[in-house]
Amino acid sequence: MSNASRRSLLRLFTASAAGAVLARAGALAQSSDPIMLGVSGPLTGPNAQYGAQWKQGFDLALDEIQAAGGINGRKLAYTFQDSQSDPRQAVAIAQKFVADPAIVMELGDFSSPASMAASPIYQRAGLVQFGFTNSHPDFTKTGDFMWSTSVSQADEQPLLARYAVEKLGLKKLAILHLNTDWGRTSKDVFVAAAKALGATVVITEGYIPEERDFRSTLVRVRDANPDGLILLSYYSDGALIARQVKQVGLKQPICAASSVYSPKFIELGGDAVEGIHLGTRYFPDDPRPEVQKFIASFKAKYGGTEPDAFNAYSYDAMNVAAAVLRIGGTDRRAIRDAFPKVKDVSTVIFGPATFDVESRRVKGAMNAELVVRDGKFKVWDGKKST
Amino acid sequence: MSSWLDYTINGLIVGNIYALVAVGLALIFGVSRLINFAQGSLFVVGAYIGWVAAARYQLPLIVALPIVAIGAAIVGLLIERFGLRPLQNSVRIAPLLATIGISFVLDQAVMLIFSPNPRALPSGLPETRFQIGAGTIGLLDILIACIGVASAALLFAFLRYTKLGWAVRATAQDRDAAMQMGVDVNRVNQTVFAIAAALGGVSGMLVGMYYNQIDTAMSLQATLKGVVAEVVGGVGNVPGAVIGSLLLGLVESYGVAVLGTSYRNLFAFLLLVVILTLKPNGLFASSKQLPPEPLTGTFIAPSKPLAVPRWALALVVLAFAALPFAAPSPYLLQTLTNAWLFGMLGLSLTLVAGTTGQVSLGHAALLAIGAYSSALLSLDLHLPVGLAILGGGVIAAALGTLLVSPSFRLRGHYVSIATLAIGEIVALTILNWESVTRGPIGVVGIPPLSIFGYELVSAQAVYWFTFTVMVLLALIETRLLGSHLGRTFRAIRDDDVAARTYGVSLNRYKSLAFIFGGFAAGVSGAIAAHLYSYINHETFNTQQSILALTIVILGGLGNVVGAIIGAVALVGLPEIFRIAAEYRILIYGVVLLLLVRFRPQGLMGTV
Repeated sequence: MSNASRRSLLRLFTASAAGAVLARAGALAQSSDPIMLGVSGPLTGPNAQYGAQWKQGFDLALDEIQAAGGINGRKLAYTFQDSQSDPRQAVAIAQKFVADPAIVMELGDFSSPASMAASPIYQRAGLVQFGFTNSHPDFTKTGDFMWSTSVSQADEQPLLARYAVEKLGLKKLAILHLNTDWGRTSKDVFVAAAKALGATVVITEGYIPEERDFRSTLVRVRDANPDGLILLSYYSDGALIARQVKQVGLKQPICAASSVYSPKFIELGGDAVEGIHLGTRYFPDDPRPEVQKFIASFKAKYGGTEPDAFNAYSYDAMNVAAAVLRIGGTDRRAIRDAFPKVKDVSTVIFGPATFDVESRRVKGAMNAELVVRDGKFKVWDGKKST
Repeated sequence: MSSWLDYTINGLIVGNIYALVAVGLALIFGVSRLINFAQGSLFVVGAYIGWVAAARYQLPLIVALPIVAIGAAIVGLLIERFGLRPLQNSVRIAPLLATIGISFVLDQAVMLIFSPNPRALPSGLPETRFQIGAGTIGLLDILIACIGVASAALLFAFLRYTKLGWAVRATAQDRDAAMQMGVDVNRVNQTVFAIAAALGGVSGMLVGMYYNQIDTAMSLQATLKGVVAEVVGGVGNVPGAVIGSLLLGLVESYGVAVLGTSYRNLFAFLLLVVILTLKPNGLFASSKQLPPEPLTGTFIAPSKPLAVPRWALALVVLAFAALPFAAPSPYLLQTLTNAWLFGMLGLSLTLVAGTTGQVSLGHAALLAIGAYSSALLSLDLHLPVGLAILGGGVIAAALGTLLVSPSFRLRGHYVSIATLAIGEIVALTILNWESVTRGPIGVVGIPPLSIFGYELVSAQAVYWFTFTVMVLLALIETRLLGSHLGRTFRAIRDDDVAARTYGVSLNRYKSLAFIFGGFAAGVSGAIAAHLYSYINHETFNTQQSILALTIVILGGLGNVVGAIIGAVALVGLPEIFRIAAEYRILIYGVVLLLLVRFRPQGLMGTV
C-alpha cells in the first residue's frame, strides 16, 4: 500500500512535470503564441477577495492591450496560480514559473510574507518579480529583479499628514493602524511627517487584521482626548472602525489613508463614513482621461460595477508590464533592463509613471484630497467636517 | 474613571456576540462530544442566507430570521446525515476531522456563490441609541442580548424538561445504553444538529448586521472565539457557554483598557490557559454533569497498522534520494521539499499526539519558535546557519515543552484546546515583542541554508538537505518508539490511570515526548525560515497547525511512515488540484471527507 500510494503520487507528479515540458516545447516552437506572464496570488483563503479584484483589472487591461495590437504584434496572456498568499505555496509557484521558459515575468504575490519568501528564487533565476501591492520597505531590496509599483508609504504618508495637520488643522492626533508590515511602516512614516508639521500624536493603537470589535480601543482613544483620528486601515476594517466611532460617542474629524478608497467603504460604513477625509491616488471624479477611460470600460465590462483601488492597481500593473515588454521583448534579463527605460506610461494611480532606478519603485505620487459627502467620494471642498 | 463603565459595557456587548457561537458549540459537544469546527461555517452560511433575505429581497427582520434559522438547520441536517452519521461507529477523531473538511467545503461553496468580496448587511432596525455612560447601546445590541439569553434559556429548558431533551442527555451520557432503552439516537443527533446549526446561522446573521459586514473569512475567527468561550464556561454546558462568553468579552475589553489593542487576543487566550490550569473542566461544569474524558487516548483508533517491509522502505527512501537525478523539475522538488518540512512537523505531532495522546492544535507555534530562534541566532549572533538550525530545534524543544507543560494535567479535548491557545499566545507574543522579534515588520534577509560554509540554494540541494534531515529524524523516532520509552508513551496514551498506578511519572514522559517533538518541529521551522529568507508573525499560523493535525490523522496516528505519507499527500494534493484554481480547496475538502469516511484510522493505521 505504502509503495503503491507513494509511487502513484510520484507518477502523478512526474506526469504533470512531463506535460509541462511538452507544453513548453510547443510554446517555444510557435512565436505566434501569446507572451506569458505568471501571476502568484490568492484565489482562495482569507485574501481571496483581492485575487478576484486583481483578475478583473488584469482582464480589462488585456482586452485593451490586445485591441491595440498586443506586444509588438504578439498577444499577452497570464496564468494565475493560487498561492492563498501562503509563503509555502508561493515558493513552489516561484519554482514552477522559474522553470517554465514560457513565463517571461512574474506579478505578485499579495502579502509580504508570501512575496518575500519567493523573492530569492526569482532573483537567483533571473526572472523579474513585479510586485504591485508590496509596500514592505524591504521588498525591492532582495535584488535587482524585484520591481514594484506599490504605493511607497514614504511618498504617500507625508501627503496624508499635510492634509490632516495643515489643511484640516488637526494638532493632537490619535492613530489607529493595522498591525501588519504595511500598517506599521505607514504609521512610522506618518508620525514622523506629522511631528515635523508641528502636530503631536497622543495615542497609537495597532490592531490585527481579523479584529472586528473596536469599541474598547475607541474608549482609550476618547480618553486620550485627540482632536482628530487618523485611520491607517483597509476599507473593510476602516468601515468597521468608522461605525463604532459613532457608537462610543466620538465626534472628532477622521482622516484616512488612501487604502480605504473603495465603493465598498461607503457600502459597509453607511452613514458612519459620512464626512471622513481621505487622501487617494485614485478616484472616479478625477478628470484625467486615462482615469475616465478606465472607469467607463470597467463598468462596461463588469455590468456597471464601480472599480476600486485594487482593481486600479492590477490594471496599472498589467499596463506597466506591457510597456516594459514592448521595450524589453521576451528575454528575461532584457525585461529587467527595460524597467529603467520605461518613461511616462499612462496609469490610473500614478499618472505618467516612471521608475526610480535606486529604489526600483515608481517615482512620485499623485494625490487627491477627498471627503465623503452624501454617500459619495467628492473632491474636498475646503470645509472641515465635524 | 467613568471609562471603566464603558469598558464593561463594551465587553458585555462583545461577549454577547461570542455567546451566540458558543451556545451552538456547547450543544453539539454536550451530545456528540464533538468540537464542531464547521460551526463557524454555519455562521457564514447563516450570514449569507440572511443577506439574500434581508438585503437582496428586503424582507423584514421578523421574516428573515426564521428563514435563516430554517436554512441553516437544513444545512446542519445535511452535515449530520452525510458528513457525520456514517462515521458514528468509527474512532472519535474521525468526526472531528470530518468537521474540518466540511468547513472547507462550506466556506468555499459560499465564496464561489457570492464571491469573496465582503458585503454589507444592514439591520433595517431604527437607529435609536440609548446613552449609557459616555457611550451608547443600540436596539440591535439589545436584540442580540435577548436572543442569546433566550436561546440559552430555551435550550436549558428543552434539555431539562422535555422528553426529547432527556433523550438528548441520555444519548450524551451513554449512547449504547440510550439505544437499548429505545431512544432513537439518530433522531436525537439530528435534532441537536438542526438546533445548533439554526443557532449558528442566526448568530452569523446578527453579527453580520452588528458590523454591517459579512465575508467568508470570518468562519475561523468565529470558531476560535466560540471555542474559547465555551471551554471557559465548561465544555458542553449551555448556560456556562453564555457566562464564559461574557467573561471572555470582559477580559478582552479590560485587557485593551490596560495595555492597548494589540494585546487584546493575548488576554483572551491567557484567560483560557489560566482557567484550564486551575479548573480543567471549565468554570461551570460540575464533575457530575460531564464526566471527564476517560482516557488520554480517546482519540486513538484501535487498528492494526499496515506493515511495510524494511527492504521496501529502504527502496522507497533510495528512490526519493535519487529523484533529483531523474526528474529535474524544480517545482516538483520544491513541492516535495515542502512535504519533507511538513513531514518533520508530522513526525513531531505524531509522537506527541499519536503515541502519548496529547492532540496538539498549536503546533505551528513550535515552527515559529524554531524559525525565529534560528533566524535571530544567525542574524543577530552571526551563528553559522547549520548551528542556528540546531539551535532553533533545541530552543523550540525547551521553550515548547515549558509552554505546554500546564496542559499536561489535562485530558482529551482540553489538551487540544489548551495547545490551540498556546499557539495563539506565541504568535501574539511574536507580534508584540518588537525589540527581539521586530514585530509586524518581520525578520528580513535571513541567510540561505548552508552547511560548512557551502550555500545550498539550488532546488536539488535544498531537497536533499531537507530529505536527509527528515529521514534522520524519522530513524531516531522509529528507534525511540521501538524502545522501552516508546512502550511507556503508548501506555500513557492507552490508559493513563493504569500507567500511573504502574509507577510511570506522566509529566516526565509527556515532557520527553514534547522535547523530541519540539526539536523536530523547531528544525522544520528553522529550515523554512532560511528557505524563505523572510518571516513574520503571519508566516506560521493556525491553519498550519490544523494542517499538521490533518497530516498525522490521515497518515495514521503514531505511525512514523504514515506521518510522512500524510505530508506528501496533503502538501501534494492541493498542488495537483492547482489547475482547478478557485475550486481547489473545495475539491481538497471533498477528498479529505472521503478519506476520513473510508479510512478513518489513517492510511497506514495507528501504531
